[in-house]
Amino acid sequence: MVIDFSSFYNLPRQLDRFFDEAWRPSMISQRRNAYPPVNISEDKAAIYVYSEIPGVDIKDVEITLSDGSLVIKGNRKHGTGSYYRQERPTGLFQRVVNLNVPIAADKVEARMKNGVLEVVIPKADEAIPKKISIKAE
Amino acid sequence: MTGEIKKNTSTLPRFSPGTDIIEKEDGFHIYIDMPGVAREDLVIDLNENDLEIRAKAIYPRKEGVSNIHLEFGDCEYARSFTISDVVDRENIKAGLKDGVLEMFLPKAEKAKPRKIEIQAG
Repeated sequence: MVIDFSSFYNLPRQLDRFFDEAWRPSMISQRRNAYPPVNISEDKAAIYVYSEIPGVDIKDVEITLSDGSLVIKGNRKHGTGSYYRQERPTGLFQRVVNLNVPIAADKVEARMKNGVLEVVIPKADEAIPKKISIKAE
Repeated sequence: MTGEIKKNTSTLPRFSPGTDIIEKEDGFHIYIDMPGVAREDLVIDLNENDLEIRAKAIYPRKEGVSNIHLEFGDCEYARSFTISDVVDRENIKAGLKDGVLEMFLPKAEKAKPRKIEIQAG
């Protein structure tokens, strides 16, 4: 059979796993229990949301903007056959990202590459800081 | 096995990616989640019975952005499997699509049940 017996018989691997868990980089939030994981960053003009959703067809992902929040929804299907091992999460998922600034909802762009979803949400004009020039008199 | 994988020389955190192994009539299908991995950053080695998979995910960085909340980052994926004689090594197929590595390990002909003719003596 092809199974990897590692999780039962291979102690070094168990230890590796333990240390992998223990030494997660501190920059990464410990709350990985929400699925899918999300990264949020911003600059003056826009908010950028990234999410890891490997193996999900772009058609099965639904992105909605409502009431100051971005909702990423989708379904991960699983194959049929006899499973030796199942670690990849399946089923419906949903993640809500709160946006605290007014946004230009009609200019939101989303794309997916190598299983990573990227959503660019431009801020509304009134939220972008403007410089006011002072005239000398 | 995994114990022999060299501790990574770079400073990237190493993860063991989530894996599904499914047996179907024709063989074994392995699915490994590897978001952010491009084809050229993926290495699959088959060394006798050990199938070793390693990959690097480097996410694009934007200039002048401040990070508000991070749950994932650049990382290295490593995982190895032990393959038995049932697998036809010559015909293992692998493909990377939407951040998932899909491998197909067909069963060898000799592993399939067959009839043995009895010769008249």
